[in-house]
Amino acid sequence: MIQLCNIGKVYDNGAPALHDINLKIPSGDFVYITGSSGAGKSTLLRLLYCADRPSRGQILMGERNITRLRPRSVALLRREIGFVFQDFKLLNKRTVFENVALPLQVQGLAKQEIQSRVYQLLQYVGLEYKLQRKPLELSGGEQQRVAIARAMIVRPRVLLADEPTGNLDSDLAIEIMEMFTRINHEGTTVLLATHDRELLDRFPRRTIVLKGGHIVSDTLPQTAEETPSKEEAI
Amino acid sequence: MERLRYFLQRTLLSMRQTPLLSGATIGTVAIALMLLSFFTLIVFNVQNLTRQWSRDIQVIVYLDRIPSNSVLEQWCQEITKLPAVETVHYVSQAEAFERFRKRLGQNDDLLDGLMPEILPASLEIALREEARTQRGAEELVELLSRNSTFSDFRYGQEWLERYDAFMFLLRLTGTLAGGFLIFATLFIISNTIKLTIYARRDELEILSLIGATPFFIKAPFLAEGAFQGAIGALLALGGCHVLYYFFLKKGLAALLTTAAAQNISFLPTWMQVAVLGLGLTLGLAGSMLPLRKFVRM
Repeated sequence: MIQLCNIGKVYDNGAPALHDINLKIPSGDFVYITGSSGAGKSTLLRLLYCADRPSRGQILMGERNITRLRPRSVALLRREIGFVFQDFKLLNKRTVFENVALPLQVQGLAKQEIQSRVYQLLQYVGLEYKLQRKPLELSGGEQQRVAIARAMIVRPRVLLADEPTGNLDSDLAIEIMEMFTRINHEGTTVLLATHDRELLDRFPRRTIVLKGGHIVSDTLPQTAEETPSKEEAI
Repeated sequence: MERLRYFLQRTLLSMRQTPLLSGATIGTVAIALMLLSFFTLIVFNVQNLTRQWSRDIQVIVYLDRIPSNSVLEQWCQEITKLPAVETVHYVSQAEAFERFRKRLGQNDDLLDGLMPEILPASLEIALREEARTQRGAEELVELLSRNSTFSDFRYGQEWLERYDAFMFLLRLTGTLAGGFLIFATLFIISNTIKLTIYARRDELEILSLIGATPFFIKAPFLAEGAFQGAIGALLALGGCHVLYYFFLKKGLAALLTTAAAQNISFLPTWMQVAVLGLGLTLGLAGSMLPLRKFVRM
């Protein structure tokens, strides 16, 4: 369960990004965070993986308050979270295998275990035959699959994706979304920030709409109706 | 163990993957430390040379009357106890006469028919290294003057004045130039390493996102900085040795007397180890400063 209570964020330059955000995301949920550019989608995700600290309010992940963590605790928290970004954030000088293995090396796992888990996961994303390639030798969709494999290698409880299909054409976007759906079915909570209406319609899920740093709607797919108030969603 | 192997692998691999940047860092460290080492080498040799000159600094007390052996022994003991004094040597009239004869060389026949008693006996007082200054000599003379038997002192006042002025200039130049060189070296190295880290900031960001602790992120970079600093320092010592051989050993030998040229030596082992340590430390410190800026959780 992820819980955000009265979260506000004002950047150092005085620019407000989020206002009074209250959210509850149960474990195993699939949630879209949507809104136009500058609405606060990425800021909300950054708060969840502790890249930024909220100016006010509290964030609970499981039973842990992650609002003010020490650097080492932030590192340990991030080992339970998978990240996927629009620009893939892969190390272009390392091979596909090395990129996917990196989170396990960080955790100090034995070489054999790393090899077996990386191979399994590359099979899962269909890239086992390209493990010695460098990211720039792959297509955009393949690079994003490598990024997903790297995110999933730690068996995360939560997967955060910031515009993961932003750089892909619609066919590849669908392929990636199907992969997220599969990951969610296996029990991982997925939070996906996107402004792609087509994807939201094609893969309907709970959708939180942000505007100017406020939650303006929080809708569930079954009824496709806006919840009457934010409090009800909480 | 896995982590240690990972750190070592990453350090070597990253240097192989960015040969240009690694080369630039090593080259910068090498050139900066070579200049610093060569400058130190020059100061070190000049100091050695002046230390040899300073051995000639002594206070001579000419004796009007020849003291008895027991009195002489007592004086020697008392004078040796003074903090500024290294040794005391009694020069008898016969020894002084013999020295004079030797100094005259082929003209020693000038002394024929003369008795040794024409020259006074003396006490030659050698000073400790820290007292080999005009002030040190003057202070000793003042102490010795308390003994009314001693009245005639010689200690090369003019020479000491020049020696003091030279040593002051040497120290001032050494401190200013050495300080400037160390500061410039740290500045250059830190900026070069900052560039290499800036070029790899994506890697730092990704490592931090996938749950690497600050230590795990920094360690390979610090090891790389230290390694590059150490290699740079070794190259600097090699380069300094080449400069020493061609400019100091061979070049100066042609200008100086053979004896002076023979005294020119390379940096002693402890200084070479210090240069290596300095390279290592500069590499470490140079990496640490920019890492503090780029690695923020």
